[in-house]
Amino acid sequence: MSKFKNIKKDFPIFERDINGNKLTYLDSGATSQKPNSVIDKMTEIYKFNNANVHRGTYVLSAETTQEYESVRTKFQSFLNASESDEIIFTKGTTEALNFLANSIANKFMGEGDEIILSEIEHHANIIPWQMVAEKYKLSIKYVKVNEDFSLDLDDLTSKLSSKTKVVSIVGESNLSGMLPDIKEINNLVRANSEALLIIDGAQLVPHRKVDVQDLGIDFLVFSGHKMLGPTGIGVVWGKKELLNSLDPVYGGGDMIEEVHYDKATWAPVPHKFEAGTPPYVEAIGLGAAVDYLQDLGMSEVEKHSDELREYGRKVLLDIDGVNVIHSQEIIAGCTFGMYVDGVHAADLSLMLDTHGVAVRAGHHCVQPFHRKLGIDATIRSTAYIYNDKEDIDTLKSALISSVEMLR
Amino acid sequence: MSIREKVDEYKKILDIFPNDQEKYQYLIEKAKENDSFPSELRLDNFKVNGCQSQVWLVPEEKDEKLFFNSDSDALIAKGLVTLIASIYSDEKAEDIVSNEIDLMEEFELGVILSPARRNGAYSMLKTIKEYAKKLIT
Repeated sequence: MSKFKNIKKDFPIFERDINGNKLTYLDSGATSQKPNSVIDKMTEIYKFNNANVHRGTYVLSAETTQEYESVRTKFQSFLNASESDEIIFTKGTTEALNFLANSIANKFMGEGDEIILSEIEHHANIIPWQMVAEKYKLSIKYVKVNEDFSLDLDDLTSKLSSKTKVVSIVGESNLSGMLPDIKEINNLVRANSEALLIIDGAQLVPHRKVDVQDLGIDFLVFSGHKMLGPTGIGVVWGKKELLNSLDPVYGGGDMIEEVHYDKATWAPVPHKFEAGTPPYVEAIGLGAAVDYLQDLGMSEVEKHSDELREYGRKVLLDIDGVNVIHSQEIIAGCTFGMYVDGVHAADLSLMLDTHGVAVRAGHHCVQPFHRKLGIDATIRSTAYIYNDKEDIDTLKSALISSVEMLR
Repeated sequence: MSIREKVDEYKKILDIFPNDQEKYQYLIEKAKENDSFPSELRLDNFKVNGCQSQVWLVPEEKDEKLFFNSDSDALIAKGLVTLIASIYSDEKAEDIVSNEIDLMEEFELGVILSPARRNGAYSMLKTIKEYAKKLIT
């Protein structure tokens, strides 16, 4: 029997009733629901083990420290990183990108250097670069997204040069489900520049098997809460030698080796990047999420995502009056942006809510790309491991009846 | 009719509808009835911040009373702002400022009237009160 058949039972939120309907949660692009194992693990830590990590020489602190550090080892295996020290905990993808932008610009960039992003980046992968660009007099170029919502790799090649110091690209689009060919991007970046390659894996890592060594990239960033974990915890994976060469952006306790009144030296990676008390309970909760995904098997998770995407394509692409923003390439995520001419996305999502269907409405932090398409707002459906074909059917029928009411 | 009386009237009407879907439908009807807003008044300075859709509220003073003309590019938000504008229109600025009725508590209107600070209805009410305050001071 499929591992996904009774999976909703592991997620207590699906016991809820929403406006007299069962919950059809299709907003996992914003955040995922949490299985009991994650919730229970965090409760267990607070109840029986809680003590600050890396500090106390007593049983509780040793236990939490051991649990916290073991999550790095889980991620080493989850991402096939060469060392567990390559895993840095952050608050989430946004903080991870802000940290990388500041640290890399400070160390490796100067006036006239270039950063390459794509036209379909999340604001978290635009604004930190705009901020450092202003500070260090850098310029930003945006790789085109084709009409079929694929990334224009020829355009990437033409923009790469010796001036390019960073290429930071989304691993899976939170709007169209676009899955760019990261290996190919890596080859192009290496062949045409000496730039560092960062992949924003916020949507990619929860849904697909990622092998950082196989991809050849320099950095991968992602959030815990989109992959069954709690909020307030995310990851930067980076190649060890690069992490060694970067300076910390935040200073404070736990990140130092020696402190004098006039200077300090940093602890080795990963700790030099984790100033202050880390969100260790969240990290341990995220560790339980990794265990849950590993038990399912990421290739199974990927297969499930592909099945729902194909079903979504079959069911959602031919609803009368509904325009769909979705990658037309064979492989993509199961994310569908949708809009109806003459109907506001906010109205549509409110109406869908009356059917118990939870989707996102707005620009999904991808405002420039919406502007490029000439659309104010869209609704977005992102399915995850706990969704099934019935959820997509519910979305379809709720969409049809909502559009009818709003026209 | 006083603000209190108007709120009670709307409460009676909204109570007729058994669920959010029918309440939203009522707001959509209200939105469709409100076709008096001149499109040239869709200006940034009349925009209500904090709404998911674009909402405009234009105050007008007549015979020492305030009137509000409203619009939105989304239907449910337009219905809501139409309703709120009609409650506070034809009232003295002093009465609007001193009125402490909490619409979020009075009306059961699903998620659109949830008592959150970053909520469209909250911003609409705040805008109306700010216009009224400006007139007094």
